[in-house]
Amino acid sequence: MRNMLLIAKREYFEQIRAKAFLMSTIGLPVLFAVILGIGYAASLGLGGKKHLVITASNAALAEEIRQQLTADKDRKVSVDVITILDPTTKSNLMNELQNKSVDGILSIETQTAGVPTATYTSLAAGDFMTGARLGRALNDGLVGERLKNAGTKPAEAESLLKGTSIQTFQLKKDGSVVKTSAEASFWKGYVMAILLSMTTMIYGLNVARSIIQEKTSRIFEVMLATVKPTDMLAGKLIGLGAVGLTQILIWLTAAAAMVITPFAAAILTGEYSLHFSWLEGILFPLYFLLGYLLYSSLFAGLASTCETEQELQMYMPLAAAPTWLSFAMIVLIMNDSNSPWAIAASLFPPTAPIVMFLRMASETPPIWQFVASISLMVASIMATLWFSSRLYRVGILMYGKRASLPELLRWLRYS
Amino acid sequence: MPVVELAGVTKAFDTKIAVNDLSLTIETGQMFGLLGPNGAGKTSSIRMMMGITIPDSGTVSLFDKPFDRTSLAHVGYLPEERGLYKKMKVIEQLVFFGCLHGLGADDARKRATAWAERMEIADALQKKTEELSKGMQQKIQFISCLLHQPRLIIMDEPFSGLDPVNAVLVERTLLELKDQGNTILFSTHRMDQVEKLCESICLIDNGRAVLAGKVRDIKSRYERNRVIIEFQGDPAFLKSNEIAEVKNFSGHAEINLKPHGDAQKLLREAAGMATIYRFELLEPSLEEIFIQTVGGAAHA
Repeated sequence: MRNMLLIAKREYFEQIRAKAFLMSTIGLPVLFAVILGIGYAASLGLGGKKHLVITASNAALAEEIRQQLTADKDRKVSVDVITILDPTTKSNLMNELQNKSVDGILSIETQTAGVPTATYTSLAAGDFMTGARLGRALNDGLVGERLKNAGTKPAEAESLLKGTSIQTFQLKKDGSVVKTSAEASFWKGYVMAILLSMTTMIYGLNVARSIIQEKTSRIFEVMLATVKPTDMLAGKLIGLGAVGLTQILIWLTAAAAMVITPFAAAILTGEYSLHFSWLEGILFPLYFLLGYLLYSSLFAGLASTCETEQELQMYMPLAAAPTWLSFAMIVLIMNDSNSPWAIAASLFPPTAPIVMFLRMASETPPIWQFVASISLMVASIMATLWFSSRLYRVGILMYGKRASLPELLRWLRYS
Repeated sequence: MPVVELAGVTKAFDTKIAVNDLSLTIETGQMFGLLGPNGAGKTSSIRMMMGITIPDSGTVSLFDKPFDRTSLAHVGYLPEERGLYKKMKVIEQLVFFGCLHGLGADDARKRATAWAERMEIADALQKKTEELSKGMQQKIQFISCLLHQPRLIIMDEPFSGLDPVNAVLVERTLLELKDQGNTILFSTHRMDQVEKLCESICLIDNGRAVLAGKVRDIKSRYERNRVIIEFQGDPAFLKSNEIAEVKNFSGHAEINLKPHGDAQKLLREAAGMATIYRFELLEPSLEEIFIQTVGGAAHA
């Protein structure tokens, strides 16, 4: 036990003192903030001003659509209207589109009777955001024009077209009702799941990398003269896991400190109100620890069979597949966090940490599901440790070529 | 009291038998040489003494009792595959290894500093291991297995990577440790060092002990069939029927006698033809015994 703790302490301080720890502790949240900031700015149209042209023989309809598009001051859109479209003008417009002085052309052809047809031409094939906004503006413009044609006064038509937004509240299990935002909850769950998957993977891989480095530097045999292989493996897992927990505690402490700032108060009570519960504060480090132990114990066994990090990369899909699967289920989980698939994925140990946090973003699952998920994870960690420690005992002393599957099976029998 | 005892130890890896029914005994206070060509089974035998691998059959005893990991507290081990933490400072590394051997941190630091001075690497204590030369790293490794004052010191190729000056320093240290009553086992390919340092040896080939015992006893079992003659005069005696092979360097001849060749007869023949300044009948060197025993192709 003493030697195991000595090894854990050495691993812990070696990592904590490294510049990489400082950089990732500060860098990861900053990176997320920047990515989310860019995403938010882009959604507001801050990415750049758009110049659109509407061609329509119906000048009133075109003007109605122009007003709809330019009404939102956050989005920088300038709209020109052309009501007489001769071939020369059309050709000039296409040239302007080519040389990017115009971003898109909305052409409306009014039928004698019935609904007008509209086409949108731009250089960006995948500009679905602008397409969706144009669709809303066109339909609102059509309704507005029809109301006016039916004799409705402009002010009344505007009043009739004015929409409203829904404020969402969540009834908590303790009976309290809190203001929520589906969008904000989604992003909170998403960011926590990504942080969880990244830290689990990073520290799991750190264990693997550390084993390969020690195997390359031939330090194992020196250590084995005093320490049992199982103590060496346990010490390494504890030491590196403690580094990950330290990083998460720093993030949680920083988040808690930010909650009391006026900026955070605006976020927590405003339109995008966010709620962090004590349960999330406990479960985040707990699921990190369980996910880390599951992946790192698996990687430890596999890494002891490899000579180089390149060889280890062959096993990367084993780690990446559950993460891909978890994030592929994100829409399913957000639509119905209690669907059988979502529940199954939150109980399945390799996907449990990420999926549980994605589910918690919309609704806290029942306690029995947490208990079942944690119990299954603990059981699979024990099984993986059993398997890996056997590979590790033999693998760390095997140099030369990478072991084949029959050799690995023999190693399991040796120990 | 036997400090190390292997009795009928066998170890196989897949189809390769690394150690085959090996028995040897090392007594307290001995300096023991484990010899053999590459792949003979020396490292496999040492690993079983250290409990790193377990024999398929046979028994390993340390300090006159069956192997038990607690006995390792009294063993210092320098493996053939050496390794240090490259990013760690030398002093931190030595303290870490000292603590793993059961020392307190302060005690380990004091001993590490004293040993570093003794091995002439005190200046390197605050440096990172990766900044040091291979020879310096070798000395740090050497110190790390001696910090806890082991009664049994097992060293696999302790002189590899050392320049002649440092090799002498390590030799001298090992002799001092032996004089203090410690038992030392080392494997090496350097026969001159074995001849100079070891009282007993075990020569392994293909996993089996092919020669074992006290160096003096072993050498006495081989005929003294090498002669060095320094002379002036007619060299015709070098064609004597007693001689199998001769190298004549104008007045200095190195001679191998025929099996059962008579050295005294050769001396008489030589004295009849030339003035003899030196006539020395040499015993075979360990290197010659080694090559003769395991075959010329298998020398280290």
